Amino acid sequence: MELRLGLALPTPPFDTNGSCSSSSSSSGGVGGGKKRRCFDEESRVGGGVPKTLHLLVWNTNRRDDGDEPRDLDDNSSSVVLNEEEGLVGWPPVKAWRKKLRRHNGRPNNNRIAAAKNSCGGCRASNSTYVKVKLEGNAIARKIDLSVHRSFESLTATLMRMFDISEEHQQKSFRLAYQDREGDWLLAEDVPWGTFIRSLKCIKLIRSRSC
Amino acid sequence: MTYSFPDEVLEHVFSFIQSVKDRNAVSTVCKSWFEIERWCRRKVFIGNCYAVSPRMVIKRFPEVRSIELKGKPHFADFNLVPDGWGGYVLPWIVEMAGAYPGLEEIRLKRMVVTDESLELIAKSFKNFKVLVLFSCEGFSTDGLAAIASGCKNLRELDLRESEVDDLSGHWLTHFPETCTSLVSLNISCLGSDEVSLSALERLVGRCPNLTSLRVNRAVTLDRIANILRCAPQLIDFGTGNYTAELRPDVLSNLAGAFSSCKELKSLSGFWDVVPAYLPALYSVCSRLTSLNLSYATIQSAEIIKLVSHCPSLQRLLVLDYIEDSGLEALASSCKDLQELRVFPSDPFGAELNVSLTEQGLVAVSLGCPKLQSVLYFCRRMTNAALVTTAQNCPNMTRFRLCIIEPKTADYLTLEPLDVGFGAIVEHCKDLRRLSLSGLLTDRVFEYIGTYAKKLEMLSVAFAGDSDLGLHHVLSGCEGLRKLEIRDCPFGDKALLANAAKLETMRSLWMSSCTVSFGACKLLGEKMPRLNVEVIDETEPPDARPESCPVDKLYVYRSVSGPRFDMPPFVWTMDEGKILH
Repeated sequence: MELRLGLALPTPPFDTNGSCSSSSSSSGGVGGGKKRRCFDEESRVGGGVPKTLHLLVWNTNRRDDGDEPRDLDDNSSSVVLNEEEGLVGWPPVKAWRKKLRRHNGRPNNNRIAAAKNSCGGCRASNSTYVKVKLEGNAIARKIDLSVHRSFESLTATLMRMFDISEEHQQKSFRLAYQDREGDWLLAEDVPWGTFIRSLKCIKLIRSRSC
Repeated sequence: MTYSFPDEVLEHVFSFIQSVKDRNAVSTVCKSWFEIERWCRRKVFIGNCYAVSPRMVIKRFPEVRSIELKGKPHFADFNLVPDGWGGYVLPWIVEMAGAYPGLEEIRLKRMVVTDESLELIAKSFKNFKVLVLFSCEGFSTDGLAAIASGCKNLRELDLRESEVDDLSGHWLTHFPETCTSLVSLNISCLGSDEVSLSALERLVGRCPNLTSLRVNRAVTLDRIANILRCAPQLIDFGTGNYTAELRPDVLSNLAGAFSSCKELKSLSGFWDVVPAYLPALYSVCSRLTSLNLSYATIQSAEIIKLVSHCPSLQRLLVLDYIEDSGLEALASSCKDLQELRVFPSDPFGAELNVSLTEQGLVAVSLGCPKLQSVLYFCRRMTNAALVTTAQNCPNMTRFRLCIIEPKTADYLTLEPLDVGFGAIVEHCKDLRRLSLSGLLTDRVFEYIGTYAKKLEMLSVAFAGDSDLGLHHVLSGCEGLRKLEIRDCPFGDKALLANAAKLETMRSLWMSSCTVSFGACKLLGEKMPRLNVEVIDETEPPDARPESCPVDKLYVYRSVSGPRFDMPPFVWTMDEGKILH
């Protein structure tokens, strides 16, 4: 597919010298003077504001696409993966519905559990976001728990969030949480399910202070 | 051009024209109609709060009584828009407090509303009647208390799907004893901790015009009977928890309470359902037009029993526990069905936990000729099923299919689902909204561009092969207003070649695609009436080469220029500068 560039760019739009993770950004070429004229012709159509303002003109005459068709499986650079739950925001179920699923469980087992558990939630509000603090850091952040299914995934995200990239640094932190009664507990002492159901907020504490 | 009609006559004529579209058309006829119309416009709808500034709205329409604003892009519902992106309503309230003292109605969707905003509303608008906060966040029950106590003529308070900081259930007591004006109250989203049940019952009891009431999970089954008896005029009721130990007296009391509500047409709620209590509903079922069971984890057999009592049903929301067998029963009992939404009970499970397949969809399409709106989550699909559905339902206006595993092919032929969706757009000529899923090539977009001429909103995920796909949509779909795309191999070429198209749309969202930073800058530079926002939480886009793809891109038309309330992770491309 041939592209005619209606406007000259200061630099070629697809810089193949740059190192970046996306693999298939190279395509097409940028031309020179002829293209500028093409744009001017277009702009005369329809008077003042060009009716068909193209920054690139799509030439549909050539059937075969000049580009390499994008490899369908090459998602690694652009897809954000969460270990257990898969992709962020997929399937497209609203956050509060996701939370309901976890509380409700299966219909057969649910009747008694539901009767006992009629207030359902572990948090006062319907939000799946909880406050996270890093010991020594005044500013609290917020994290969406609904996308996590394991301590590993949660911890990895927290490390990224607080920019703790060094492994030895990572090891010096432990995950603590405050439960509904106000007590501070270590996350490593409880199973994930208990943690999720009873936590109010999270703190990353330094190992020394335990 | 001279007129023999005085302005007042024209104004009177215009007063019969209520729809926003028609009003907009009227205002473009000539200068004098523009002037007359703008002075008598009472209702304004702003689909993107950043498309125009409050001052501009106020300047053009000085006598507005009702405003509707939408903030965040739709994908915010699925956590794709980071917290803090924007959509703040306070600046609007501040301006309107001064300019529209007679404002009566505020309807907001996906906006950040603070207690301060709510307090300002309660203070500034003496005749305030309607507050609808759809999928909003940022406020607490303190703000609600201000509304309750400050708005003497409140008719509607609807908090549907909003996230409220539930500090205290006592906010309900702030409705004065003199408040009898409520027509609609929806507090179903409130946390399950506290709602002052006695205050609620008293409030309900003294509002004779209350026709819509949706309570939250804190209201237990035993209290429902009391509430219903206080308000037998209810048309729409949302229960709280529908669970209790089975006791015959409670059941008969509940059944009696329901049967006293002769106008009841719509039911929702049903958290934690004990199926044995469902028969209490039977007396209202024959009149029921809308039923939301999408929180109810009851099995297919129970759903079938309930639904078979509802021959007038027009709208059903349900979990996939209904299974194909339930949908077949639905198809034979509910011939008036117009809208069906089937939600996944276990969206993240890898295994099939229920027997809900393409067969269910086909059965409903066959049995329910009036079917117009479908939202269907399932795990397998075939082109044949989609073709059959399309042929059976040519009046479909909204079709959203979500096959849970991305890029799932037709499970019988192993082909992409291009032909199936192609049939949908070809046969359903009035299709306004479409969501795609499954294995899809550029072909499906060619079909969409060719046939979907009335399409207004398209959602795409994990589909397509190249820019050609995006180009088909942007160049072919004449009525397109909103386009949201994630994880597709669409990049610069299609976007830049169709730059002008973006000015005819409300917005475009592209995340995890291959649009380069350079192209975003170019778009922002050359299209001054578009706001081009690059969203990246990990690092600034200019920290990488220009050819690198941006994480998230949100482009929307605006007459008020770039916004200045952006968080650190949003950059606006504007005339060569990157605003931050």
